Amino acid sequence: MSNAVSTKHAAAEKRSISPLFWLPFGAGGMLAALFGPGLILVTGILGPSSSGFMERFASYDHVLAFARNPIGKLIVLAVIALFFWHGAERIFLTLKDMKAGPVPNLKFATYGVAALVTLVTFVVLLGIGF
Amino acid sequence: MSERRPYRRPVNPKWWWAPGAYRAYTLRELTGVGIALYGVVLFAGLISLSRGPDHWEGFVQFLRSPASIVLHVILLVVVAYHVKTWFEILPKTQPKIIVNGKQVPAQTITSYATLVAVACSAALVLFTFLVAR
Repeated sequence: MSNAVSTKHAAAEKRSISPLFWLPFGAGGMLAALFGPGLILVTGILGPSSSGFMERFASYDHVLAFARNPIGKLIVLAVIALFFWHGAERIFLTLKDMKAGPVPNLKFATYGVAALVTLVTFVVLLGIGF
Repeated sequence: MSERRPYRRPVNPKWWWAPGAYRAYTLRELTGVGIALYGVVLFAGLISLSRGPDHWEGFVQFLRSPASIVLHVILLVVVAYHVKTWFEILPKTQPKIIVNGKQVPAQTITSYATLVAVACSAALVLFTFLVAR
């Protein structure tokens, strides 16, 4: 019996933390699949190329008001952070499969960047005020 | 004294660009770069916003530049490929759906989910342009 307990223990200790990264990967992938094309069309293609749109919709005051609204903050944080975590997971796994370098370095260059951007986004959104 | 010398099948170092399934896999995974790159654009916008009206104006000027428009058209193509592949994977990652005692085919799930995604993006564009009028 003690044998069974120790085996169980060992399994628990060996458990991978990978699933922790799958959640933001999946959430970011779903967000990008549902709203990514629409977001890119509005902010990058149709918005900037239609006359008067940026003045009406993307004026400094309007966008600042959006970033000061708590729900607006949540949307900005979710989109930026989840897009980075999604990209980080895919780039990390692909570089690992290509054996592009030592795994800790690859993690640092992918998950590390996503974590840093998430932190800075959070701090900047707080700094913008309410 | 015997030493273990297992046979290791040679792997083509460029396997990830071999035509067929491997190349499709690599292209699918590369969409992650595009999505992260769009995250970089939005992040730059947030930083510009936090630095004041002049910096924000600079960011808007960047969005209007031909280089930015071309970049966003490329990003749109990349993300459209992500939408296609993401919902092709979806039926493999979720529990089976049973309707009237029959399993819903993967292709049906993929088609409906893709339709929902197109509707979501279209609704976002329409809503934004109606609000901005």
